[in-house]
Amino acid sequence: MFAIYRREMQSYFYTPAAYVFMGVFLALSSIFFGVTNLASRSCNLLELLSQMSYLWMLLSPLLAMRLIAGERRRHTDQLLLSSPCSLSGLVLGKFFAACTVLLITVGATGMYALIVALYGTLYAAETAVAYLGLILQGCAFLALDLFISCFAKSQTTAAAAGIGVNLLVWLADILASAVTVDWVSSVLNFISLYQRFAPFALGQLSLSNVLYNVLFMGVMLFLSVRVLDARRWSEA
Amino acid sequence: MIAFEGISKRYGAHQALQDVSFTLPKGQILGLLGQNGAGKTTAMNILTGCLAPSAGRVTVGGFDVLTQPRQAKRMLGYLPEQAPLYDEMTVRAYLRFACELKEVERKAVAAHVEAVAGKTGLTDVLDRKIGNLSKGYRQRVGIAQALCGAPEAIILDEPTAGLDPRQSSDVRKLVRELAGEHTVLFSSHILSEVQSVCDRIIILHHGRVICDSALQALRCGEQRLRAVIACGEGTLLPALRQLNSVSQVKTERGGEPGLTQVILTVKAGCPAERELFTLLSAMQAPLLRLAPAEESLEDIFLRATMDEG
Repeated sequence: MFAIYRREMQSYFYTPAAYVFMGVFLALSSIFFGVTNLASRSCNLLELLSQMSYLWMLLSPLLAMRLIAGERRRHTDQLLLSSPCSLSGLVLGKFFAACTVLLITVGATGMYALIVALYGTLYAAETAVAYLGLILQGCAFLALDLFISCFAKSQTTAAAAGIGVNLLVWLADILASAVTVDWVSSVLNFISLYQRFAPFALGQLSLSNVLYNVLFMGVMLFLSVRVLDARRWSEA
Repeated sequence: MIAFEGISKRYGAHQALQDVSFTLPKGQILGLLGQNGAGKTTAMNILTGCLAPSAGRVTVGGFDVLTQPRQAKRMLGYLPEQAPLYDEMTVRAYLRFACELKEVERKAVAAHVEAVAGKTGLTDVLDRKIGNLSKGYRQRVGIAQALCGAPEAIILDEPTAGLDPRQSSDVRKLVRELAGEHTVLFSSHILSEVQSVCDRIIILHHGRVICDSALQALRCGEQRLRAVIACGEGTLLPALRQLNSVSQVKTERGGEPGLTQVILTVKAGCPAERELFTLLSAMQAPLLRLAPAEESLEDIFLRATMDEG
Protein backbone atom coordinates (compact mmCIF):
# COMPACT_ATOMS: atom_id res chain seq x y z
CA MET A 1 0.00 0.00 0.00
CA PHE A 2 2.82 2.45 0.86
CA ALA A 3 4.49 1.76 -2.48
CA ILE A 4 1.24 2.58 -4.27
CA TYR A 5 0.78 5.69 -2.12
CA ARG A 6 4.29 6.96 -2.82
CA ARG A 7 4.05 6.35 -6.55
CA GLU A 8 0.68 8.03 -6.75
CA MET A 9 2.00 11.08 -4.89
CA GLN A 10 4.99 11.27 -7.23
CA SER A 11 2.69 10.93 -10.19
CA TYR A 12 0.43 13.77 -8.99
CA PHE A 13 3.40 16.11 -8.80
CA TYR A 14 5.32 14.80 -11.86
CA THR A 15 2.26 15.59 -13.99
CA PRO A 16 0.06 18.70 -14.05
CA ALA A 17 -2.80 16.92 -12.23
CA ALA A 18 -2.10 18.18 -8.70
CA TYR A 19 -1.03 21.65 -9.86
CA VAL A 20 -4.20 22.12 -11.93
CA PHE A 21 -6.37 20.94 -9.03
CA MET A 22 -4.61 23.14 -6.48
CA GLY A 23 -4.39 26.12 -8.83
CA VAL A 24 -8.07 26.10 -9.79
CA PHE A 25 -9.22 25.44 -6.22
CA LEU A 26 -7.07 28.18 -4.73
CA ALA A 27 -7.88 30.68 -7.48
CA LEU A 28 -11.63 30.20 -7.05
CA SER A 29 -11.49 30.12 -3.26
CA SER A 30 -9.41 33.31 -3.28
CA ILE A 31 -12.11 35.01 -5.36
CA PHE A 32 -14.70 33.78 -2.83
CA PHE A 33 -12.52 35.10 0.02
CA GLY A 34 -12.12 38.46 -1.68
CA VAL A 35 -15.85 38.85 -2.24
CA THR A 36 -17.14 37.25 0.97
CA ASN A 37 -14.60 38.47 3.51
CA LEU A 38 -12.35 41.21 2.19
CA ALA A 39 -14.89 43.27 0.24
CA SER A 40 -17.54 42.99 2.94
CA ARG A 41 -14.98 43.27 5.79
CA SER A 42 -16.31 40.07 7.41
CA CYS A 43 -14.34 37.91 9.87
CA ASN A 44 -16.73 35.00 9.45
CA LEU A 45 -14.99 32.25 7.48
CA LEU A 46 -17.89 29.80 7.75
CA GLU A 47 -19.66 31.31 4.75
CA LEU A 48 -16.44 31.08 2.72
CA LEU A 49 -15.89 27.42 3.66
CA SER A 50 -19.47 26.66 2.75
CA GLN A 51 -18.89 28.16 -0.71
CA MET A 52 -15.64 26.25 -1.06
CA SER A 53 -17.46 22.99 -0.39
CA TYR A 54 -19.22 23.35 -3.76
CA LEU A 55 -15.87 23.19 -5.53
CA TRP A 56 -15.47 19.53 -4.57
CA MET A 57 -18.17 18.32 -6.92
CA LEU A 58 -16.42 19.94 -9.87
CA LEU A 59 -12.78 19.42 -8.92
CA SER A 60 -12.73 16.09 -7.10
CA PRO A 61 -12.93 14.15 -10.43
CA LEU A 62 -9.70 15.91 -11.50
CA LEU A 63 -7.87 14.04 -8.76
CA ALA A 64 -9.83 10.80 -8.85
CA MET A 65 -10.31 10.18 -12.58
CA ARG A 66 -6.77 8.88 -13.04
CA LEU A 67 -6.71 6.60 -10.05
CA ILE A 68 -8.06 3.43 -11.65
CA ALA A 69 -9.10 4.47 -15.18
CA GLY A 70 -5.61 5.87 -15.81
CA GLU A 71 -4.03 2.54 -14.90
CA ARG A 72 -6.34 0.67 -17.24
CA ARG A 73 -5.66 3.05 -20.12
CA ARG A 74 -1.90 2.60 -19.74
CA HIS A 75 -2.21 -1.14 -19.04
CA THR A 76 -0.27 -0.59 -15.82
CA ASP A 77 -3.14 -2.22 -13.94
CA GLN A 78 -1.54 -5.56 -14.87
CA LEU A 79 1.64 -4.55 -13.05
CA LEU A 80 -0.37 -3.80 -9.92
CA LEU A 81 -2.68 -6.81 -10.15
CA SER A 82 0.20 -9.24 -10.68
CA SER A 83 2.11 -7.85 -7.70
CA PRO A 84 1.80 -9.20 -4.15
CA CYS A 85 -0.12 -6.02 -3.17
CA SER A 86 -3.75 -6.76 -2.28
CA LEU A 87 -6.67 -5.04 -4.00
CA SER A 88 -7.60 -3.26 -0.77
CA GLY A 89 -3.99 -2.06 -0.41
CA LEU A 90 -4.12 -0.81 -3.98
CA VAL A 91 -7.38 1.11 -3.49
CA LEU A 92 -6.37 2.53 -0.08
CA GLY A 93 -2.93 3.61 -1.33
CA LYS A 94 -4.49 5.52 -4.18
CA PHE A 95 -7.26 7.00 -2.04
CA PHE A 96 -4.86 8.25 0.64
CA ALA A 97 -2.63 9.84 -2.00
CA ALA A 98 -5.60 11.76 -3.44
CA CYS A 99 -6.64 12.75 0.11
CA THR A 100 -3.11 14.04 0.78
CA VAL A 101 -3.26 16.35 -2.25
CA LEU A 102 -6.67 17.51 -1.04
CA LEU A 103 -5.29 18.16 2.48
CA ILE A 104 -2.33 20.13 1.11
CA THR A 105 -4.77 22.25 -0.91
CA VAL A 106 -7.07 22.84 2.03
CA GLY A 107 -3.99 23.55 4.17
CA ALA A 108 -3.01 26.32 1.74
CA THR A 109 -6.36 28.03 2.35
CA GLY A 110 -5.20 28.47 5.96
CA MET A 111 -3.76 31.74 4.71
CA TYR A 112 -7.30 33.16 4.72
CA ALA A 113 -7.63 32.29 8.40
CA LEU A 114 -4.22 33.84 9.01
CA ILE A 115 -5.24 37.08 7.27
CA VAL A 116 -8.47 37.21 9.29
CA ALA A 117 -6.56 36.47 12.53
CA LEU A 118 -4.04 39.24 11.76
CA TYR A 119 -6.53 41.93 10.80
CA GLY A 120 -9.68 40.92 12.65
CA THR A 121 -11.09 38.28 14.99
CA LEU A 122 -10.91 34.63 14.04
CA TYR A 123 -13.58 32.34 15.47
CA ALA A 124 -11.09 29.52 15.79
CA ALA A 125 -13.28 26.68 17.14
CA GLU A 126 -16.12 27.22 14.66
CA THR A 127 -13.68 27.64 11.80
CA ALA A 128 -11.83 24.43 12.76
CA VAL A 129 -15.12 22.50 12.81
CA ALA A 130 -16.06 23.87 9.39
CA TYR A 131 -12.64 22.91 8.07
CA LEU A 132 -13.14 19.37 9.43
CA GLY A 133 -16.47 19.17 7.61
CA LEU A 134 -14.93 20.53 4.42
CA ILE A 135 -12.12 17.95 4.50
CA LEU A 136 -14.48 15.06 5.30
CA GLN A 137 -16.80 16.09 2.49
CA GLY A 138 -13.92 16.43 0.05
CA CYS A 139 -12.61 12.97 0.95
CA ALA A 140 -16.12 11.53 0.60
CA PHE A 141 -16.34 12.97 -2.93
CA LEU A 142 -12.91 11.52 -3.71
CA ALA A 143 -14.04 8.07 -2.55
CA LEU A 144 -17.19 8.36 -4.68
CA ASP A 145 -15.20 9.44 -7.75
CA LEU A 146 -12.59 6.72 -7.20
CA PHE A 147 -15.44 4.22 -7.25
CA ILE A 148 -16.67 5.71 -10.54
CA SER A 149 -13.13 5.60 -11.92
CA CYS A 150 -13.23 1.81 -11.47
CA PHE A 151 -15.85 1.55 -14.23
CA ALA A 152 -14.13 3.71 -16.84
CA LYS A 153 -11.40 2.83 -19.31
CA SER A 154 -10.39 6.40 -20.02
CA GLN A 155 -9.75 9.28 -17.67
CA THR A 156 -12.05 11.58 -19.68
CA THR A 157 -14.97 9.19 -19.25
CA ALA A 158 -14.17 8.85 -15.55
CA ALA A 159 -14.06 12.65 -15.11
CA ALA A 160 -17.30 13.24 -17.04
CA ALA A 161 -19.12 10.49 -15.16
CA GLY A 162 -17.66 11.73 -11.86
CA ILE A 163 -18.91 15.29 -12.40
CA GLY A 164 -22.31 13.92 -13.46
CA VAL A 165 -22.70 11.77 -10.35
CA ASN A 166 -21.42 14.58 -8.11
CA LEU A 167 -24.04 16.90 -9.56
CA LEU A 168 -26.68 14.25 -8.85
CA VAL A 169 -25.52 14.14 -5.22
CA TRP A 170 -25.88 17.93 -5.11
CA LEU A 171 -29.28 17.73 -6.82
CA ALA A 172 -30.40 15.21 -4.21
CA ASP A 173 -30.18 18.04 -1.72
CA ILE A 174 -32.34 20.35 -3.85
CA LEU A 175 -34.76 17.60 -4.83
CA ALA A 176 -35.22 16.60 -1.20
CA SER A 177 -36.74 19.98 -0.43
CA ALA A 178 -38.88 19.93 -3.60
CA VAL A 179 -40.30 16.40 -3.28
CA THR A 180 -43.54 16.13 -1.30
CA VAL A 181 -43.39 12.37 -0.66
CA ASP A 182 -41.84 12.00 2.80
CA TRP A 183 -39.89 8.79 2.36
CA VAL A 184 -38.40 9.90 -0.97
CA SER A 185 -37.40 13.15 0.63
CA SER A 186 -35.81 11.22 3.54
CA VAL A 187 -33.82 9.00 1.18
CA LEU A 188 -32.61 12.01 -0.81
CA ASN A 189 -31.63 13.78 2.40
CA PHE A 190 -29.78 10.67 3.56
CA ILE A 191 -27.62 10.42 0.47
CA SER A 192 -26.92 14.15 0.27
CA LEU A 193 -23.36 14.94 1.24
CA TYR A 194 -24.28 18.63 1.35
CA GLN A 195 -27.03 17.99 3.89
CA ARG A 196 -24.34 16.37 6.08
CA PHE A 197 -22.09 19.36 5.68
CA ALA A 198 -24.72 21.88 6.83
CA PRO A 199 -24.05 21.53 10.62
CA PHE A 200 -20.28 21.88 10.07
CA ALA A 201 -20.91 25.05 8.07
CA LEU A 202 -22.65 26.45 11.13
CA GLY A 203 -19.66 25.56 13.30
CA GLN A 204 -21.49 22.67 14.99
CA LEU A 205 -19.47 19.51 15.53
CA SER A 206 -21.77 16.57 14.86
CA LEU A 207 -20.40 13.13 15.59
CA SER A 208 -23.12 11.43 13.57
CA ASN A 209 -22.18 13.45 10.50
CA VAL A 210 -18.49 12.70 11.02
CA LEU A 211 -19.36 9.00 11.20
CA TYR A 212 -21.64 9.30 8.17
CA ASN A 213 -18.82 10.72 6.06
CA VAL A 214 -16.33 8.09 7.27
CA LEU A 215 -18.85 5.34 6.62
CA PHE A 216 -19.63 6.76 3.18
CA MET A 217 -15.91 6.62 2.31
CA GLY A 218 -15.63 3.08 3.69
CA VAL A 219 -18.58 1.87 1.60
CA MET A 220 -17.27 3.50 -1.59
CA LEU A 221 -13.78 2.05 -1.10
CA PHE A 222 -15.20 -1.38 -0.32
CA LEU A 223 -17.33 -1.25 -3.46
CA SER A 224 -14.28 -0.18 -5.48
CA VAL A 225 -12.39 -3.26 -4.28
CA ARG A 226 -15.38 -5.45 -5.14
CA VAL A 227 -15.61 -3.96 -8.66
CA LEU A 228 -11.90 -4.57 -9.30
CA ASP A 229 -12.19 -8.11 -7.98
CA ALA A 230 -15.33 -8.81 -10.02
CA ARG A 231 -13.58 -7.63 -13.19
CA ARG A 232 -10.97 -10.37 -12.79
CA TRP A 233 -13.76 -12.90 -13.12
CA SER A 234 -15.52 -11.33 -16.06
CA GLU A 235 -13.15 -9.18 -18.10
CA ALA A 236 -12.25 -10.13 -21.63
CA MET B 1 7.21 -24.71 -10.13
CA ILE B 2 4.06 -23.75 -12.05
CA ALA B 3 1.04 -26.03 -12.42
CA PHE B 4 -2.11 -25.43 -14.46
CA GLU B 5 -4.80 -27.85 -13.31
CA GLY B 6 -7.85 -28.05 -15.58
CA ILE B 7 -8.02 -24.32 -16.23
CA SER B 8 -11.04 -23.07 -18.17
CA LYS B 9 -12.04 -19.50 -18.83
CA ARG B 10 -15.28 -18.39 -20.37
CA TYR B 11 -16.21 -14.86 -21.47
CA GLY B 12 -19.96 -15.05 -21.90
CA ALA B 13 -20.53 -17.44 -24.81
CA HIS B 14 -16.85 -17.48 -25.79
CA GLN B 15 -14.69 -20.26 -24.36
CA ALA B 16 -11.22 -18.71 -24.15
CA LEU B 17 -9.53 -21.64 -22.40
CA GLN B 18 -10.76 -25.18 -22.06
CA ASP B 19 -9.37 -27.62 -19.54
CA VAL B 20 -5.76 -26.50 -19.88
CA SER B 21 -3.36 -28.55 -17.77
CA PHE B 22 0.42 -28.55 -17.75
CA THR B 23 3.31 -28.21 -15.36
CA LEU B 24 6.45 -26.17 -15.75
CA PRO B 25 9.44 -27.54 -13.81
CA LYS B 26 12.05 -25.27 -12.30
CA GLY B 27 14.65 -23.94 -14.74
CA GLN B 28 12.77 -24.77 -17.94
CA ILE B 29 11.99 -22.30 -20.75
CA LEU B 30 8.53 -23.06 -22.02
CA GLY B 31 7.23 -21.46 -25.20
CA LEU B 32 3.51 -20.93 -25.38
CA LEU B 33 2.59 -20.91 -29.06
CA GLY B 34 -0.66 -20.14 -30.72
CA GLN B 35 -2.38 -17.99 -33.27
CA ASN B 36 -3.84 -14.65 -32.21
CA GLY B 37 -6.84 -15.36 -29.99
CA ALA B 38 -5.67 -18.88 -29.09
CA GLY B 39 -5.74 -18.06 -25.37
CA LYS B 40 -2.06 -17.37 -24.62
CA THR B 41 -2.59 -13.99 -22.95
CA THR B 42 -5.61 -15.27 -21.03
CA ALA B 43 -3.52 -18.17 -19.70
CA MET B 44 -0.77 -15.78 -18.62
CA ASN B 45 -3.21 -13.36 -17.01
CA ILE B 46 -4.73 -16.23 -15.04
CA LEU B 47 -1.29 -17.41 -13.97
CA THR B 48 -0.37 -13.96 -12.69
CA GLY B 49 -3.67 -13.35 -10.92
CA CYS B 50 -4.84 -10.57 -13.25
CA LEU B 51 -7.77 -12.80 -14.22
CA ALA B 52 -9.59 -15.52 -12.33
CA PRO B 53 -10.34 -18.84 -14.04
CA SER B 54 -13.90 -20.07 -14.53
CA ALA B 55 -12.73 -23.54 -13.45
CA GLY B 56 -9.52 -25.18 -12.28
CA ARG B 57 -6.61 -23.79 -10.34
CA VAL B 58 -3.09 -22.51 -10.89
CA THR B 59 -0.32 -22.98 -8.36
CA VAL B 60 3.08 -21.34 -8.25
CA GLY B 61 5.63 -23.04 -6.02
CA GLY B 62 2.71 -24.92 -4.43
CA PHE B 63 0.76 -21.73 -3.63
CA ASP B 64 -2.66 -21.23 -5.17
CA VAL B 65 -2.73 -17.94 -7.10
CA LEU B 66 -6.33 -17.23 -6.04
CA THR B 67 -6.30 -18.26 -2.39
CA GLN B 68 -2.66 -17.51 -1.51
CA PRO B 69 -1.98 -14.68 -3.94
CA ARG B 70 0.71 -12.91 -1.94
CA GLN B 71 2.99 -15.95 -1.65
CA ALA B 72 2.36 -17.02 -5.24
CA LYS B 73 2.88 -13.58 -6.77
CA ARG B 74 6.13 -13.05 -4.90
CA MET B 75 7.54 -15.84 -7.03
CA LEU B 76 6.41 -14.32 -10.32
CA GLY B 77 7.67 -11.55 -12.56
CA TYR B 78 5.30 -10.62 -15.38
CA LEU B 79 5.80 -8.66 -18.57
CA PRO B 80 2.37 -8.31 -20.19
CA GLU B 81 1.94 -7.90 -23.95
CA GLN B 82 2.04 -4.12 -23.53
CA ALA B 83 4.80 -3.18 -21.11
CA PRO B 84 3.17 -1.59 -18.04
CA LEU B 85 5.19 1.63 -17.89
CA TYR B 86 4.67 5.05 -16.37
CA ASP B 87 6.03 7.50 -18.95
CA GLU B 88 6.45 10.35 -16.48
CA MET B 89 8.82 8.35 -14.23
CA THR B 90 12.54 7.85 -14.65
CA VAL B 91 13.73 4.27 -15.15
CA ARG B 92 15.29 4.32 -11.68
CA ALA B 93 12.12 5.58 -9.96
CA TYR B 94 10.04 3.03 -11.84
CA LEU B 95 12.30 0.11 -10.92
CA ARG B 96 12.34 1.32 -7.30
CA PHE B 97 8.56 1.24 -7.38
CA ALA B 98 8.58 -2.27 -8.88
CA CYS B 99 10.95 -3.40 -6.11
CA GLU B 100 8.72 -1.91 -3.43
CA LEU B 101 5.69 -3.62 -4.98
CA LYS B 102 7.59 -6.93 -4.90
CA GLU B 103 8.39 -6.31 -1.22
CA VAL B 104 12.16 -6.03 -1.63
CA GLU B 105 13.68 -4.86 1.65
CA ARG B 106 14.00 -1.07 1.67
CA LYS B 107 17.73 -1.06 2.36
CA ALA B 108 18.37 -3.44 -0.52
CA VAL B 109 16.28 -1.59 -3.12
CA ALA B 110 19.01 0.71 -4.52
CA ALA B 111 21.48 -2.15 -5.02
CA HIS B 112 18.75 -4.36 -6.47
CA VAL B 113 17.78 -1.68 -9.00
CA GLU B 114 21.43 -1.34 -10.09
CA ALA B 115 21.76 -5.11 -10.44
CA VAL B 116 18.58 -5.50 -12.50
CA ALA B 117 19.54 -2.52 -14.68
CA GLY B 118 22.97 -4.04 -15.26
CA LYS B 119 21.45 -7.37 -16.26
CA THR B 120 19.04 -5.78 -18.74
CA GLY B 121 21.47 -3.20 -20.17
CA LEU B 122 19.71 -0.18 -18.68
CA THR B 123 22.51 1.27 -16.57
CA ASP B 124 23.10 4.16 -18.98
CA VAL B 125 19.46 5.23 -19.07
CA LEU B 126 18.57 4.82 -15.39
CA ASP B 127 17.96 8.54 -14.92
CA ARG B 128 16.09 9.12 -18.16
CA LYS B 129 12.32 9.43 -18.34
CA ILE B 130 10.64 6.29 -19.63
CA GLY B 131 8.51 8.37 -22.01
CA ASN B 132 11.68 9.49 -23.84
CA LEU B 133 13.06 5.98 -24.42
CA SER B 134 12.98 4.00 -27.68
CA LYS B 135 10.65 1.03 -28.03
CA GLY B 136 13.53 -1.40 -27.51
CA TYR B 137 14.61 0.24 -24.28
CA ARG B 138 11.03 0.46 -23.07
CA GLN B 139 10.71 -3.28 -23.56
CA ARG B 140 13.93 -3.77 -21.60
CA VAL B 141 12.47 -1.67 -18.79
CA GLY B 142 9.41 -3.94 -18.88
CA ILE B 143 11.62 -7.01 -18.58
CA ALA B 144 13.63 -5.32 -15.82
CA GLN B 145 10.49 -4.73 -13.74
CA ALA B 146 9.62 -8.41 -14.17
CA LEU B 147 13.05 -9.26 -12.71
CA CYS B 148 12.62 -7.02 -9.66
CA GLY B 149 12.33 -8.99 -6.44
CA ALA B 150 14.33 -11.87 -7.97
CA PRO B 151 11.24 -13.96 -8.81
CA GLU B 152 11.74 -17.63 -9.51
CA ALA B 153 9.52 -17.58 -12.59
CA ILE B 154 9.40 -14.96 -15.33
CA ILE B 155 6.31 -14.71 -17.51
CA LEU B 156 6.83 -12.90 -20.82
CA ASP B 157 3.87 -12.26 -23.09
CA GLU B 158 5.11 -11.64 -26.64
CA PRO B 159 8.16 -9.68 -25.45
CA THR B 160 9.40 -8.93 -28.97
CA ALA B 161 6.09 -7.66 -30.37
CA GLY B 162 6.57 -4.39 -32.25
CA LEU B 163 10.38 -4.44 -32.05
CA ASP B 164 12.69 -4.18 -35.04
CA PRO B 165 14.82 -7.28 -35.90
CA ARG B 166 17.86 -5.98 -34.00
CA GLN B 167 15.84 -5.21 -30.88
CA SER B 168 14.04 -8.57 -31.12
CA SER B 169 17.37 -10.33 -31.29
CA ASP B 170 18.61 -8.42 -28.21
CA VAL B 171 15.48 -9.35 -26.26
CA ARG B 172 15.81 -13.03 -27.26
CA LYS B 173 19.41 -12.99 -26.14
CA LEU B 174 18.35 -11.49 -22.85
CA VAL B 175 15.69 -14.16 -22.35
CA ARG B 176 18.24 -16.90 -23.02
CA GLU B 177 20.51 -15.35 -20.40
CA LEU B 178 17.65 -15.36 -17.88
CA ALA B 179 17.12 -19.04 -18.40
CA GLY B 180 20.01 -20.04 -16.16
CA GLU B 181 18.54 -18.41 -13.08
CA HIS B 182 14.80 -18.41 -13.69
CA THR B 183 11.99 -20.57 -14.94
CA VAL B 184 10.63 -18.80 -18.03
CA LEU B 185 7.22 -18.96 -19.67
CA PHE B 186 7.42 -17.20 -23.01
CA SER B 187 4.55 -16.64 -25.39
CA SER B 188 4.80 -15.78 -29.05
CA HIS B 189 3.20 -16.42 -32.39
CA ILE B 190 6.57 -16.06 -34.10
CA LEU B 191 7.72 -19.63 -34.48
CA SER B 192 11.40 -19.02 -35.16
CA GLU B 193 11.56 -17.01 -31.97
CA VAL B 194 10.24 -19.86 -29.86
CA GLN B 195 12.55 -22.22 -31.73
CA SER B 196 15.58 -20.14 -30.79
CA VAL B 197 14.70 -19.53 -27.15
CA CYS B 198 12.65 -22.38 -25.72
CA ASP B 199 13.38 -25.99 -24.87
CA ARG B 200 9.76 -27.06 -24.68
CA ILE B 201 6.63 -25.84 -26.42
CA ILE B 202 2.93 -25.93 -25.79
CA ILE B 203 0.65 -25.13 -28.70
CA LEU B 204 -2.69 -23.62 -27.78
CA HIS B 205 -5.47 -23.69 -30.34
CA HIS B 206 -8.99 -22.43 -29.69
CA GLY B 207 -8.19 -22.43 -25.97
CA ARG B 208 -7.03 -26.06 -25.82
CA VAL B 209 -3.57 -27.59 -25.53
CA ILE B 210 -3.02 -29.50 -28.76
CA CYS B 211 0.68 -30.15 -28.39
CA ASP B 212 2.95 -30.28 -25.36
CA SER B 213 6.40 -31.54 -26.11
CA ALA B 214 10.12 -30.90 -25.80
CA LEU B 215 11.37 -29.22 -28.95
CA GLN B 216 13.87 -32.01 -29.59
CA ALA B 217 11.20 -34.69 -29.24
CA LEU B 218 9.08 -32.97 -31.87
CA ARG B 219 11.83 -33.44 -34.39
CA CYS B 220 13.39 -36.71 -33.32
CA GLY B 221 12.76 -40.11 -34.81
CA GLU B 222 13.40 -40.55 -38.50
CA GLN B 223 15.83 -38.19 -40.19
CA ARG B 224 14.82 -36.54 -43.45
CA LEU B 225 17.13 -35.71 -46.34
CA ARG B 226 16.45 -33.48 -49.31
CA ALA B 227 18.27 -34.63 -52.48
CA VAL B 228 18.44 -33.08 -55.96
CA ILE B 229 19.42 -35.68 -58.57
CA ALA B 230 19.99 -35.30 -62.31
CA CYS B 231 17.79 -38.17 -63.38
CA GLY B 232 14.23 -38.74 -64.53
CA GLU B 233 11.58 -39.68 -61.94
CA GLY B 234 10.56 -42.82 -63.81
CA THR B 235 13.80 -44.75 -63.26
CA LEU B 236 14.94 -42.97 -60.09
CA LEU B 237 12.00 -43.38 -57.73
CA PRO B 238 11.66 -47.22 -57.95
CA ALA B 239 15.41 -47.53 -57.33
CA LEU B 240 15.33 -45.21 -54.30
CA ARG B 241 12.44 -47.18 -52.83
CA GLN B 242 14.61 -50.29 -52.92
CA LEU B 243 17.16 -48.77 -50.50
CA ASN B 244 17.21 -50.55 -47.15
CA SER B 245 17.85 -47.41 -45.14
CA VAL B 246 15.01 -45.38 -46.67
CA SER B 247 11.47 -45.81 -45.40
CA GLN B 248 9.74 -43.22 -47.56
CA VAL B 249 10.43 -41.31 -50.76
CA LYS B 250 8.50 -38.17 -51.64
CA THR B 251 9.05 -36.04 -54.71
CA GLU B 252 8.98 -32.27 -54.46
CA ARG B 253 7.58 -30.24 -57.34
CA GLY B 254 9.04 -27.09 -58.80
CA GLY B 255 12.55 -28.31 -59.62
CA GLU B 256 14.45 -27.57 -62.79
CA PRO B 257 13.70 -29.66 -65.92
CA GLY B 258 15.69 -32.91 -65.97
CA LEU B 259 16.26 -32.77 -62.19
CA THR B 260 14.34 -34.65 -59.56
CA GLN B 261 14.00 -33.26 -56.05
CA VAL B 262 13.10 -35.83 -53.40
CA ILE B 263 12.66 -35.98 -49.63
CA LEU B 264 13.99 -39.25 -48.26
CA THR B 265 12.84 -40.38 -44.84
CA VAL B 266 15.73 -42.32 -43.36
CA LYS B 267 15.23 -45.09 -40.82
CA ALA B 268 16.73 -44.21 -37.41
CA GLY B 269 20.42 -45.21 -37.16
CA CYS B 270 20.82 -46.19 -40.84
CA PRO B 271 23.70 -44.77 -42.94
CA ALA B 272 21.56 -43.71 -45.89
CA GLU B 273 24.16 -41.41 -47.48
CA ARG B 274 26.63 -44.25 -48.31
CA GLU B 275 23.88 -46.44 -49.77
CA LEU B 276 22.52 -43.52 -51.78
CA PHE B 277 25.90 -42.58 -53.26
CA THR B 278 26.56 -46.19 -54.26
CA LEU B 279 23.17 -46.49 -55.94
CA LEU B 280 23.39 -43.20 -57.83
CA SER B 281 26.95 -43.94 -58.90
CA ALA B 282 25.84 -47.27 -60.35
CA MET B 283 22.96 -45.52 -62.12
CA GLN B 284 25.29 -42.78 -63.36
CA ALA B 285 22.84 -40.26 -61.93
CA PRO B 286 24.76 -37.26 -60.57
CA LEU B 287 23.75 -36.12 -57.06
CA LEU B 288 23.68 -32.32 -57.21
CA ARG B 289 22.59 -31.51 -53.68
CA LEU B 290 22.06 -33.40 -50.43
CA ALA B 291 20.98 -31.66 -47.21
CA PRO B 292 19.04 -32.44 -44.06
CA ALA B 293 15.35 -31.54 -44.46
CA GLU B 294 14.35 -30.80 -40.89
CA GLU B 295 10.72 -30.20 -40.22
CA SER B 296 10.55 -26.59 -39.09
CA LEU B 297 8.54 -25.51 -36.12
CA GLU B 298 6.27 -23.80 -38.61
CA ASP B 299 5.53 -27.19 -40.19
CA ILE B 300 4.86 -28.69 -36.77
CA PHE B 301 2.62 -25.76 -35.82
CA LEU B 302 0.66 -25.83 -39.08
CA ARG B 303 0.29 -29.62 -38.90
CA ALA B 304 -0.92 -29.45 -35.29
CA THR B 305 -3.40 -26.62 -35.86
CA MET B 306 -4.67 -28.16 -39.14
CA ASP B 307 -5.21 -31.54 -37.53
CA GLU B 308 -7.35 -29.84 -34.91
CA GLY B 309 -9.28 -27.85 -37.52
